Amino acid sequence: MLEEFGRIVVAAVIAWILFLSLDIFWRLPQKGGVSGADAIGEAIAGRDGDQHGGWMMGNIVCSPDASAGTLLAACGVFVAGLPGGIAAAVLVYIGNRICHDKGYAGTSGALIATLIIAGFMQIGFFASDFIAGMVLAILTIQGISHIHASRLIGYFWRWRA
Amino acid sequence: MESLIAEAICMGIALYGAVRTVLEKETLLKLPFVNVMNFGIAGLIVFILPHPLTLVAAAAYFVGSTLEANAIASAIARRRQE
Repeated sequence: MLEEFGRIVVAAVIAWILFLSLDIFWRLPQKGGVSGADAIGEAIAGRDGDQHGGWMMGNIVCSPDASAGTLLAACGVFVAGLPGGIAAAVLVYIGNRICHDKGYAGTSGALIATLIIAGFMQIGFFASDFIAGMVLAILTIQGISHIHASRLIGYFWRWRA
Repeated sequence: MESLIAEAICMGIALYGAVRTVLEKETLLKLPFVNVMNFGIAGLIVFILPHPLTLVAAAAYFVGSTLEANAIASAIARRRQE
């Protein structure tokens, strides 16, 4: 029981690092990709948040990004093993195209997450740990404090830019 | 049975996202909390029905809800411009 909690926490940390680094690598905080993401970014900046962090949070809301890719890849590996992860990447790509996004972040996130999850399953982790872990990771960014999360992303973004 | 804790975490976070959505006043800032709820529910769908085709259901739910959030945000953005 405690062991599962430990695995979920480790999975959450890995998923957090994976999706933030991929989103920042694909320049999600640079600008709001669509007008809705732009508006969310400005609303967060209006509450003393960081503008770039706000744009990235808007982009996460408005199109499936690396975090959605990681979640669906974990779901795919959970129900169908490695082919399920690949199928999840295809579904995320289709979803990205529906949302007028180029789809680099979501698709690469799903593929890399599939490989990472398959690797961690060799050392005793379960795919279900990564589903819960990714939900926990998105909670820390989108669900606790918009202001602090956007400042944290803005800090990473200035470090990259 | 071993994934019961993971399932409970997904459900708890989905409920938390729903409560925060209701408590938040500004519509645009509700959307990130809705996003958290969607993540939790997409995970829950897979836990409740572990079958390969469930992946399609979870992806359809997630992409559809993302598209809705996108539509709400862009409608508000356009109304502000006018």
